[in-house]
Amino acid sequence: MDSKAWTLIKLINCRPDVHNHWPGVAGSREPPLKSESTASTLSTKSLLTITYTPGLKYGPNGTIFISSGIPDLDKILGGGFPLGSLVMVMEDAEAPHHMLLLRNFMSQGLVHKQPLLYASPSKDPKGFLGTLPTPGASKDDKSRDHDPENENGLRIAWQYKKYFGENQHHFDSNRDVKHEYCHDFDLRKPLEKHFISGQHIDCVSILDSPNLAALRDRCATFLAQFPRNDSSISSAGRISIQSFCAPQCKYSNMEWDMLSFIRSLRSVIRSSNAVAVVTFPPSLLSPSFSRRWQHMADTLLSVRAIPDEDKEMAKLLTGYQDMVGLLNVHKVAHINTQVPVILDATTFSIKLQKRRFLVLESLNQAPIDSSSGTSYGTSASCSGSSKSGTLDF
Amino acid sequence: MAESICRALRDGALQGEHAPALTIKDSIASPFGFHVFTHLLTQLSSNILAAKSQSRGLVLVAFSRSPSFYLDLLNRKGIDVASSQKWIEILDCYTDPLGWKDALLASENGGSLSNEASTGASLCRNVKDMDKLYSSIIELGKGIVGQGKVRFCVAIDSVNEILRHASISSVAGLLSNLRSNDRVSSIFWLSHSDLHEDRVTAVLEYMSSMVASIEPLNQSANGRRCNWESLPLLEHNYWKGRFHVRFKRRNGRVRVMSEEFHVEQSAINFRSISSEDEIVNRSLLPKVQFNLQLSEKEQIDRAKVVLPFEHQGTGKPIQIYDGRRSLTDGKSETEPVSTGILQTNENSSKGEIIYLRDSDDERPDSDEDPDDDLDI
Repeated sequence: MDSKAWTLIKLINCRPDVHNHWPGVAGSREPPLKSESTASTLSTKSLLTITYTPGLKYGPNGTIFISSGIPDLDKILGGGFPLGSLVMVMEDAEAPHHMLLLRNFMSQGLVHKQPLLYASPSKDPKGFLGTLPTPGASKDDKSRDHDPENENGLRIAWQYKKYFGENQHHFDSNRDVKHEYCHDFDLRKPLEKHFISGQHIDCVSILDSPNLAALRDRCATFLAQFPRNDSSISSAGRISIQSFCAPQCKYSNMEWDMLSFIRSLRSVIRSSNAVAVVTFPPSLLSPSFSRRWQHMADTLLSVRAIPDEDKEMAKLLTGYQDMVGLLNVHKVAHINTQVPVILDATTFSIKLQKRRFLVLESLNQAPIDSSSGTSYGTSASCSGSSKSGTLDF
Repeated sequence: MAESICRALRDGALQGEHAPALTIKDSIASPFGFHVFTHLLTQLSSNILAAKSQSRGLVLVAFSRSPSFYLDLLNRKGIDVASSQKWIEILDCYTDPLGWKDALLASENGGSLSNEASTGASLCRNVKDMDKLYSSIIELGKGIVGQGKVRFCVAIDSVNEILRHASISSVAGLLSNLRSNDRVSSIFWLSHSDLHEDRVTAVLEYMSSMVASIEPLNQSANGRRCNWESLPLLEHNYWKGRFHVRFKRRNGRVRVMSEEFHVEQSAINFRSISSEDEIVNRSLLPKVQFNLQLSEKEQIDRAKVVLPFEHQGTGKPIQIYDGRRSLTDGKSETEPVSTGILQTNENSSKGEIIYLRDSDDERPDSDEDPDDDLDI
């Protein structure tokens, strides 16, 4: 048995039209007919032949993703935010978690040198740029990030294992921080100045505008820089609009106008290589308009506050002490496909790991005290300890 | 909890943050919002006079009562209004909010303008102009505390009155400007929630960092009182109610507290609730999964467990334990073969696997006859 024939190659995401060094096969998992060392260089070489722009990831159905700035969120959404989509975040009036999402999104764009348009209802939106986080330490010290392709996960007493000496290499050509797709942002340290100055950052205040015509024009001129056509992408753009229907804005009672702005933004974004993130507090809209806005979104998220010192919740969930809020994924964008994205879980807890890094975790039930409840709810496997019933075979 | 609110208003704002803002909200079912407002006003005033608070002055924007009413009230509560150091200013929006009296007097030839020269009150004749209102408040405040970095508090008597004359977005703009002004220490206002649409109440709650709502003791459907309650009992319960507060904390969590209050002879007393109704927020958690991930500590412990079939490098052949107690030879290795749960022994550095066998009658496992492929 040729062990080298059984070497697994890490699946590389690539566009179908990319010239592939393995004839007849487009990005599938098949053993190469060459030796491993050349296989590894082959894969890196094939990566480099793609017009590799840092910050872009190629996904299925011809979609190109940009990172949201939160590694967990990228994983949940299947790669990130697809270019050409409109992401809406429903705020909770009682918690500022949408700002965390926006900060990571904007920082990620600046680190990847993607132009940014930021609109907010404050008088001086530029001040917000000072609160953007900086990329934290590299991924080496994160023990929770286990690599599923790593064969050390399953230890088998197999006598042919000793032939597998050179098996454990990683195709981590992207370890270099500059080319990392998604950074882990340290919310305690502000972004370095060189990322902010000299960049294409446009800040708009929507506080005093009587209608949305000015904002619409700014968005249109911004998006004109990233037209979508068949040529390769030079760069992608990011738009972030914070608290779009904030009550202190003069246009905030013009509900139909706001809706038509969102609709026109969505249509222009579709034909651009950009992503727009719009946050809004749905409690300040009338219910029918809140529904309409939610339908406009390609990807719909919502953040919610959690009660403090709630004993019931602390009993129900593990890790309640570290949680700062909840994130719900209502809709995930599926462009160019009719297959919907169905997630295992739609509610995630927002935690700040070491008070710095934003982490999303699925909600886990706290272990039920085995003396009180029935045992079948407590553990997943365990045939040995359950009482033998009539179904014992 | 009235105490916590008083403390929050007293402590004021941190550098670079918006000032804490409180909405007091009541309804016709339990219309004691004004009592709460005056209670907080007197508490804050005594704190200011005793120099216990961050702010050194208070600007009271009076819409629903005249300034003299407030001065009397404060005097009755034992707070020295006419003290040597000026600490309170009242912006009088009650007497002539739209400037009609002025216009009337001016149209009557030569009529003298009656100036409201009461102590500590300045008149506002145009409440429709939010910018003017804002600048008047700030000016008055600076008049009390001077030009330095000292802050002052703002109390708005009734937001409903402003909303009669101005749109909610301009009022929201006024409130957010006041909050973000770095001379304002804290701000609170009263609103009667049934005078407006829900959206207005939602906006006011959005703009504030604390929301105190006053509710009757017995919440009957549609606010109608139960028919079988006797009239004296109804009247007795009318003066009592529940005081719920929601604090928006800096870390994004919401602190919910409740108290009972009792109004007697225009004084309001708070006491904590005897029986707690636990509101379980089950609605927030639709699908909760079991934790299949391992924490760091658990991962380290798992790595320490010696698996049975692997060579440990000692050169000894490994016996496969089948769970029967009959195995007598002592083992220097750990017990092998596991069930679903791995448990670790704190004392030894090696992990242990604990295997509980179903019964001794079972036929031997296939473990005892391993494949040729396996490396044991």
